[in-house]
Amino acid sequence: MKKNNYTIEAKLSEYIRNECLPKNKEYKLEYDKNLFDDGIIDSAGLITFITYIENEFNIVIPDEDLLPEYFTSLSVIAGYIRAHQKTGKNITTKIANG
Amino acid sequence: MAEIKKCIVWDLDNTLWDGVCLEGKVKIKKGVHDIIAEMDRRGILHSIASRGDEELSLKILKENKLTDFFLVPQINWLPKSQSILKISKELELSLDAIAFIDDDEFEREQISYMLDDVLTIDAGRINEISDWKEFNPVNISKETKERRYFYQAEMKRKETRHSYKSREDFLLSCNLQLNIRQLLEEDIPRVLELMSRTHQLNSTGIIINGDELTNHLNNGQGKSEILVAELTDKFGWYGVIGTAMIVKEKPVWKLKYLSISCRVMGRGIERAFLAYLVKYAFNDGFEIIEAEFRDTGRNRMMRVLYQMAGLINNNKPDIYGNSVYSADTNNLPQTPKWIKML
Repeated sequence: MKKNNYTIEAKLSEYIRNECLPKNKEYKLEYDKNLFDDGIIDSAGLITFITYIENEFNIVIPDEDLLPEYFTSLSVIAGYIRAHQKTGKNITTKIANG
Repeated sequence: MAEIKKCIVWDLDNTLWDGVCLEGKVKIKKGVHDIIAEMDRRGILHSIASRGDEELSLKILKENKLTDFFLVPQINWLPKSQSILKISKELELSLDAIAFIDDDEFEREQISYMLDDVLTIDAGRINEISDWKEFNPVNISKETKERRYFYQAEMKRKETRHSYKSREDFLLSCNLQLNIRQLLEEDIPRVLELMSRTHQLNSTGIIINGDELTNHLNNGQGKSEILVAELTDKFGWYGVIGTAMIVKEKPVWKLKYLSISCRVMGRGIERAFLAYLVKYAFNDGFEIIEAEFRDTGRNRMMRVLYQMAGLINNNKPDIYGNSVYSADTNNLPQTPKWIKML
């Protein structure tokens, strides 16, 4: 289980490093860093990132789930992916349905 | 398919010039220089996807004073479809905004097969294209004529950003300054252009004509307001890059339309513009701050902007079927710290 948890964050981090960050190996990307507040990602970048997540983790992310509570940092996004993989449903729908 | 093309990708041998440069002397085709300059004036960019010797080809372009017109030229031995994909990525243009001119039917067919959104044109028709609707944008603003320079400045930005330790450091170093102000008459061509060219960061896809904008200016602001956003950074002036239309009927302040040029993506400008608008409404004493959104099939990015900035979907579409988002006045969108509001 621990290995699996590590893999999701590491994969997301690798994507952000390759696609969104300067090619500087010294830069430390914390898993709880706010990707928007630090200029790492914006609306356009998130769309591309979502496509990557959907393909990589074989899930579908509906528009109504694109909210700050699920997509601000790598650790939060990883949490969303895990919950999604378990339920197979989007989180908002799950909450709305009680 | 995009109606107006944003970039013409040229083959060189027997297309841009008569002859094959590796086989002897070549001469720029009659009328081509004028067409390139005219398209440039219309804001249509030029690039190259050609097989051949890069150094020699660039030398010929320089001798004919054409080098500066071409952005990210691809002169190599790769399939031209790969070159066009690279151009599309570098210039951040969708394939349906690209036209490709080549004398060789095989090459044109190959592009049509591999990249069917690209418009392919036989080099024998070069002298006709100035009249085609695909190359005739309705509105030509001062920003249109400067478009190539904007892209060249953007190349410089991309070259420098890798030298910074973090993305935030780079953005802070850019000295981004956003000036949001009321629409002026001189902005009208640019606003019309933004409405027709901007698809992704466009909240409702509505198109207003020039007469309606002039009418708005002549008959006072009343309940409606049209704002424009102008951007500058240390690399140069971008011109007007965004437009917002607001209708105010107390207690409701409604953002009817918001568009931001795709050219300034990646800087947090859209967040800054939205943050400014919501704060502007809040400071003006409005209790209900709303933004309309209509799914046009291409503007998911705007929905993402609204939602990630903390706007909440009411889940009650209006009578026109538009989604309505509300701002939470206890959690207003924030301006990124690297953008200075003028």
